[in-house]
Order: sequence, then structure tokens, then C-alpha cells
Amino acid sequence: MKGKIFKLTYIASFITSLLISINCGAQEIDVSNYRMLYNFSTVKQHDNSRVLEVSFIARNKKSKKDKIPVFDAEIDFFNILNDKEVLLGTSKTSKEGIAQLTLPENQSYLTDEEGYFNFKAVFEGTAGLDGEEEELAIKDIFIELYLSEIDSVKTVLVKAFTIDSLRVETPVEEVDIIISIGGMLSKMTLEEGYIENGEYEFEFPTDIPGDVNGDLTVYSIIDDHKEFGNVNKKETINWGVFHKQDKKENNKLWSDAAPIWMYVVLTFMLVGVWANYIYTIINLFKIKKEGVNLELESKV
Amino acid sequence: MDIEQRKRELVKEFSPMLRKTTTISKIWIGFLIAVIAVGFYALILQFTKGHIVTGMRDNVVWGIYIINFIFFVCLSYSGAFIAGILHFFKTPWKNSVSRIVEITTVLSIIIGPIFILLCIGRLDRLHYLFLYPRIQSPITWDIIAILTDLIGCFLYLYLTFIPDFSILRDNSDDAPKWRKKLYSILSFGYQDTTSQRERLNKITRIMSTMIIAMAIVTYSVLAWIFSLTVQPGWNSTIFAPYFIIAGLYSGVSVIIVAMYLIRKYYHLNHYIRKVHFVGAGIILLVISLLFGYFTFTEYFSRWFSHKTHDIELLETLFNRYFWEFIFANYIGVLVPIGILFFKKFRTIKSITFAAVIAILGLWFNRYLIVVPTLETPYIPIQDTRPEFIHYSSTWIEWALSFTGIAAFILFFMLIMKLVPIIPISGIIDQERKSKKIKPKIIL
Amino acid sequence: MSSITAVAGTSLVSNFALEEEKKTTGEKVRLLTPDGKIVEVEASNINKYPEAHITPAESRKGIPNRKFVMVIDLAKCKNARSCVESCQKAHDLDYNEEFIKIQLIQNNEESLPYWFPKPCFHCDEPPCVTVCPTGATFKRDDNIVLVDNERCIGCKFCVTSCPYSARIFNWGHKDKFENTNQPYSPETGIPATEGTIMKCDFCPDLLRQGKLPYCAKACPMGVIYFGDKNEDIVTNGEETVRFSELINDRGGYRHLEHLGTKPNVYYLPAVNRQFPLERGFNIDEDIIERYKNVPYVQDLKKRGKI
Repeated sequence: MKGKIFKLTYIASFITSLLISINCGAQEIDVSNYRMLYNFSTVKQHDNSRVLEVSFIARNKKSKKDKIPVFDAEIDFFNILNDKEVLLGTSKTSKEGIAQLTLPENQSYLTDEEGYFNFKAVFEGTAGLDGEEEELAIKDIFIELYLSEIDSVKTVLVKAFTIDSLRVETPVEEVDIIISIGGMLSKMTLEEGYIENGEYEFEFPTDIPGDVNGDLTVYSIIDDHKEFGNVNKKETINWGVFHKQDKKENNKLWSDAAPIWMYVVLTFMLVGVWANYIYTIINLFKIKKEGVNLELESKV
Repeated sequence: MDIEQRKRELVKEFSPMLRKTTTISKIWIGFLIAVIAVGFYALILQFTKGHIVTGMRDNVVWGIYIINFIFFVCLSYSGAFIAGILHFFKTPWKNSVSRIVEITTVLSIIIGPIFILLCIGRLDRLHYLFLYPRIQSPITWDIIAILTDLIGCFLYLYLTFIPDFSILRDNSDDAPKWRKKLYSILSFGYQDTTSQRERLNKITRIMSTMIIAMAIVTYSVLAWIFSLTVQPGWNSTIFAPYFIIAGLYSGVSVIIVAMYLIRKYYHLNHYIRKVHFVGAGIILLVISLLFGYFTFTEYFSRWFSHKTHDIELLETLFNRYFWEFIFANYIGVLVPIGILFFKKFRTIKSITFAAVIAILGLWFNRYLIVVPTLETPYIPIQDTRPEFIHYSSTWIEWALSFTGIAAFILFFMLIMKLVPIIPISGIIDQERKSKKIKPKIIL
Repeated sequence: MSSITAVAGTSLVSNFALEEEKKTTGEKVRLLTPDGKIVEVEASNINKYPEAHITPAESRKGIPNRKFVMVIDLAKCKNARSCVESCQKAHDLDYNEEFIKIQLIQNNEESLPYWFPKPCFHCDEPPCVTVCPTGATFKRDDNIVLVDNERCIGCKFCVTSCPYSARIFNWGHKDKFENTNQPYSPETGIPATEGTIMKCDFCPDLLRQGKLPYCAKACPMGVIYFGDKNEDIVTNGEETVRFSELINDRGGYRHLEHLGTKPNVYYLPAVNRQFPLERGFNIDEDIIERYKNVPYVQDLKKRGKI
């Protein structure tokens, strides 16, 4: 039985591979012309969850614009310490060539003596593609974002610290930080500064519109730091000054309804003309009536 | 002489025109049908292959269809205008020409809009114009105006036909049965009694004023399709009156040509006399002076103010369209003026020649309003496909254009088979006024 | 182990292959499979929009509380044509059908010409909408001017009244008009319809997903900024800036302002250019031909530089 299934699968895959060679034969390109770009990164998100991400893209050795994402490749993510390897999870690359694994806030990691988490992302490799792996050492950082009005000045305060194994908080020093606000399509950077003594303070501008309710989302971002990786934190607050929308203009040339005078003039003209037509037709029938009467009289 | 006797006499005089078809007209009808058949083939090609078969492309989206549309519709409006004027002011010599004018009006208002239909990409959705109308669009105004005008012109034409239908009904004893029945239905019980005549006169007179007013409104709407846009050659305040004058120019000219042809082929020298040609010629002279004046002002102000985009347009007109421009706006205006201005040049033939020049000149004038403007948009055309840069009409467009003209002539001939081209009732009325004939006393 | 991977790989590709037989037209995407094969697959097979289908009636409303604007930085444009090509691919347009055109504009004899990407300007007082007899083209509350190809009767009045030549007519029949891969929506304009009008639509389908329009995303130089005027934020995908600051600091203007159409596309003048103008002539011969009437190009040709 088992053998039969295997046989069927084999035949099916043989037929489909034939189909592929018919459909895609012309487009097949030699992989050897491509360099594999295998990039491993991590982001600590605003809810303290952590995303491990691999971007797996083939780039033409000759023309750098020619990039092909690797689709459906299985990536294994490990937490390693010396010889120990803990499989955190497995993910497949999307059509953009990206595989992601999200780990919750309460995930426990193996930590080395200096306080680093060591991650490894592995692609096993197949007959067609070589295996890939990359390691990453990240220190966990905690960021707190406070939005408050101090003396009626809208102030953004960021506190950043690390926690060691003895649960002692140590403020971080000289870490670049970006303050942004969220937009519909992207985040807009308001200020780039750096954290000193575990703190960073920023006076928020007074003329940011925000959304229709005046709500806006403030982000504090550590971008690609060699020790901490990427860390995001966000907070929403009603600090926006929404531009009053222009009143919807009714009865204009380009709106649904025409200016009223147009209806008036048109109605006036049409009623005038058609009243005259009707008057003419009524009179025509009067002529006919007279004619018919005459005919009847002459017959009598 | 007794009225009834005179009526019989006149019917007898005109009946060969109504009932006999000469060899020449048979050949003509055959030829016209052949032209229409070619046009029909072209139409099928356009329907099946799409507008790609025309010379219209993304920059020049309107071609000779729209030019024919303006031309025919202007013809109709001016016909209505002239008919209204002739009737309203009781012009003494109107009787011989009024029917020609009225038929021209109705036929061209039927044929003109067909050309705009040829321009529309999705004829299957034409009813959307009424399902989702937008009052702001000049196209909506135009549709309302054309439909109203069409009905008005039909009504008016019919009013002027009634007395003749009644005379024909009473005096065609030897006619085939269908003809008698048709006349009987169409005469609508009209017996030419005093009260009927007065009533008919009253409503015809009101309709004639109505038609003059309507012609002015619809003319303007037609001009506004162009002048309400922001395009350099179109956005002109004088376009509405300019179109009225241009329409009258072509209208009077077409009537003169029609008078000439009808006079020649139906031997109506007795009715359509030189005085009519001279009269129409003088009207044409006045209109051509006005038309020349409007044309001059239009281009002169564009040239003098020297705005970038106006100058680009003028450069196109004076380079690429040099001969067309010379023909339309110099020859097409100055030659008719030259002929009509001098009394000794005013012969039937020369007046007709002036009219032909005026018609051709005016058609090119319309062409130069539509096409060069679309070829010189605000943002310069940067394209490599020649058909997208310059418009050149295809045989399909020409075939359909000539079909329009052929249909116009054919229908004209067919209507002349139905009613005498010179209104009998008009002759009777005139003679009654000059007391040549005595009314029949109805007891 | 390896045999299993191979089977899994082929079965994945076979899904594509089988589906590909059903649909022969549409956008193609190249992917590399784990077993080292590069395949081209229908984008629609993998690129299914999660968003609900926007019907013609819904598309008239617009995205609430948004006022979309585009800012085009002429100093950065080098006529790379990525915007044009990306837009054509996304909207299933032919080689010569361009929703965004790149013109070469010379303001006067003394000044150097500049590359001028020209999409639809989505005017606040759109002449095309004014003249439409059936309401097939309409102005939405989010500034976008759209065309409903199921309403359009093809009278072409909008083409003649648009001073920016932004509109294209579907002259003849093409197979793609019957492409029923996705139901028609004015927000995508696909499938286009014979005998009707089409034009740049600011890609509202992407905006609903919080993505940039194709042209802005594709531009390698970041020429095209797009955003919401209410938020006062525009982005070119790399850089996000305040719209008002960009316009005020860089002398933003609107093309042919005097016509009073109030466009929603702003231009930053071609000052301190990042690329020499000649860089833009590194394109197809027949596209260079388009610019042959610009005096500067004639001069270049005379000197044998093109």
C-alpha cells in the first residue's frame, strides 16, 4: 500500500515536472549566475515580542538589479549556547523571500556570560541550492516610552536599560535613537538623537496633524544597533492638530448635483418649449375635430 | 377663377414631379444607394473592429465625424432660423424657398446627430445619458437641445405641410390608393375653412418664433461644447455668436445650391426665379461679411495678445494647415464677397458658385477649429507614432461622411415625391390676397 | 530526506503549472524554488489581495479622511522610466499606453530642459468631471479622480477638456479586455474596456493596503513622493517628510497653475540637479525619438551625442 502511494507520487511528480518543462522551460535560468544573499536580523517589537527574520534573495552576479526571491525555503531558527542548540521554530520564505518567526515576550532564551542571546538561522540546502546559515548575538534591551505634557510642553521621554541575570537594571549609554510618528504609508522621522544615562528627552512639535481625531502614534526606534539589533516601541496619544477638512462643496460644476440655477434655467426653458408644443398639438386636434365634423355634416 | 379649380390646376402641374420618376433621378437614386451601401459596410467595419479603424487617436479624439456633426446641425439650426424668419416676417417671395428650407432643417437635424453617434465608443450604453444624466455637462445640454429641436422642427415642418396634404387629398382622384390614404391621414382633417386656416396660421406663427429662439439656444450650446473647455483654440467668448453666423453662412449657401439643383432638374424656372437667387445672394453677402468679421476678430485677438499656446496653435495653422487655412478663411470668405458685392456678377450661376465656395470653405473652417487645436495641447505631444501626432482621416470616415451627404440628398428626393417642393397652399394664399381667385363659399 | 524535499518542491511548482494553464495572461513574477529552479508564475496566483473587492458604487466614496497628494522632485529625475514600466505592468497596459508619461520640457530657450513625469493631476476642480455626461468620471473626497469603465459611454469629451492630456482611450479590441481574473473595479481599472477612457488612478487599491502607488514605489531615485495632505506627510518609500515643509522649502509649484484646475500633483523645480540631463537618453531608440522636437535634443543630435 505504502509502496503504491510512493509510486503514484513518483509518477505524478514526473508528469508535473514534464509540465513544468513545457511551461517554464524557456524561462529557466542557470542558478550559478546568481549570488545568494542570506541576511538574518531581529526586531524587538513594541509589545516586547521578538521577531527573527531571514531575507533570502538571489542576485545576479552581473546585473545587481536582477533579484529573485527564494520562495518556500524552510528556515530553522535556533537559540544556541556553546554546544547547546534549541530549535525555536521553523518558517518558510514568502514570495518576497522573507521568513519570519515571532517569539512571545515570555520566551526564555539561553544567555551567555556576557548577557547575549545567540541566534542561528539555518537553511538546510537542497540538491539545487547550497545550505546557508548565519548567527546573531543580541543583548536584550528594555525601552520605556513616556508621553506627557510637562509645563504644557509635549514631551517624549525614552528610558532604556538592560537587565542582568541578577535582575539589576543598568541604564544604557550612547545608543542612537529615532523618534518618529506613524503615517498612513510610512513612519516620519521627527528627530534622531542618542540615549545618555539611559534617557532621552524630546520636545514634541506642536503642529503635527495626526488623524481625524487628532490621535497620533509616536515611535521610538533603535535601528540596527550592533549590540541590541532593532528595537521598536510605540505609543498613541491625542497630540495632533488635525487640519480641518474643507467643507464638502455641493452644487458645483464637478460635484454630483449641479448648481441650482442650472436646474431652474433648464426647467424654465424646457417647460416653455414643451408647453408650446403641447399647445400646438392641442390646436391641431381642434382642427381635426372641425374637419371631422365638417365631413360628417357633408355626408348627412 | 374659383379656388378649387385653381387647386386642381396646381396639383396637375406638380403631379409629374410627385408621381413620375425620370431616368436621371433613377440613376441618381441608384448612385446614392450605392454610396450609402459603402458607408454601411464601413459602419459594420467600425462596429466590429472598433474605433481603431478611424484616424482618431488619443490626442485628436474627435475627427471629421464631429466636424460633419457641427456642419449638419448648424445647417439645421440655420434652416430653422431662416424658416422662422421667412414665416414670421411674411417675406413676400418666401413661398418658393420656404419648403426647401424646412426640408433641409429637418433632414440635417436627423443626419447630424448620427455623426456624433459614430464618435461614441460605447453605443450600447447610450441610454446611460438618460439613466445617469449630469446637468453640468454641455453634452447633456446638447442632447436635450437636439431632441427638443428635432421634435420642434418636425412639428413645424408638418404644420406647413398640412394645407398641401389637404389639397392633394382632395385632388388626387387618379392617384394610387396608398397615396390617397396617406394624404388623407396626413392632412389631419384639414378642410381649409376660414377658422381652420386661421388656427393653423396662428400656431404656425407661434412655432416659427419658437424655432428662431430655439435655434439660437441650441447653436450656442453646440459652440459651448468647444468654448467651455480651457483649450487654446476653443476657449473663446465669441464662439456662440460666431457659430450662429457660421451656421447661417452654410445654411443659406446650401439652400442656394438646393434651389439651383431643384430649379434645374425639375424645371421650376417659373417659381424659383432670379429674384430669389439675388435675394438669397444679398443675404449671403451680409452673412459672409459678418462671418469674415468674426473670423478675423477671433484669430486677430489670438495673434495680437500673443499668448504662448495661442501662438503655437497659430503656427500650426500657418504651417501645417497653410492651404486649408487660406482656403477656409480667405478664399471661402473673400470669393463669395467678391462675387456678391458687385451687381453685375449676381447671376444665378455665379451666386450658386459663391455658395459652393462658402460651403466648402466653412467645412474647412470647422476642420481648422477642431483638429489643429487637438494637435497642439498645453503639454506638447511627445510620441513616436505618427497617427497619434497628426490626425489623418481614414476611408471609413470619408465613406460615412459621404453616406451622410448621400442620405441627405436621397431623403430630399423622396420627400419631394410626397409633397410638391413649391407649396401649393402658399401659391393659393398669395393669389387669394391679390384677389386673383375667389373663395368657394361654404354653406 | 532529499527525495521528500524534491517531491514537495515539485508539487508546489505543479500547482503553479496547473493554474498557469488556466490563465494565460497577466502579470508574471519570477521566483527561485528551494530546489534551485527559477520559475515564472502568475502574480495573481500568489498575489491575492486580502482586501474586499471594491465595487463601482463603493469606489465613488473614497478612503475616508484622506486627501492624497503627490510631489514630484524634478531635480532627481533622470528618465529611468521605472515608474512608467511598473505602472504599465500593474495596470496591464501596452507598450505605448502610459498613465504616467515622461515629457522633456524646456521652459525657455536659455534654460536647460528637464525630465517631467506627468501622471493625472487629480485636480480639485477637474474639467474632465465637469463635462462628463454620465458621471462615469468622478471626484472623490480623498482627492482622487477615477473612471468607472462600466459607466463610460466613450464620448471622449473628457479627453478634449483635460488640459494635461492625461487620458487614454481604448481604441480597438484586445484580448486583455476579456481578462476575468479579477472582477472589475474602478479602483484597479482592470480589466479595461473597449471604447472607454482610462487614466492614472493613484492606485487606490494599494492605498487601501497602506502601500505606495506603483510609480512612487518603483522609482529608483525617489523622485515621486506620495501621501496624505491631512496628515501632512509624504513619502517616496525611503524618505518620509512633511508635505508643507517640502513644498515651502523647495519652491513647490503646480503645472499650469493659471488654468485654475487646482491639481493635486506638485512639482519641485529642477534646481541643483542630481544627474546631467544626458543621462536620461540611455533608453530605447524609439523613446528618444519622442523628444526630437525639443530644440536641445536637436542640438545634441547635431553634435552626434545621441
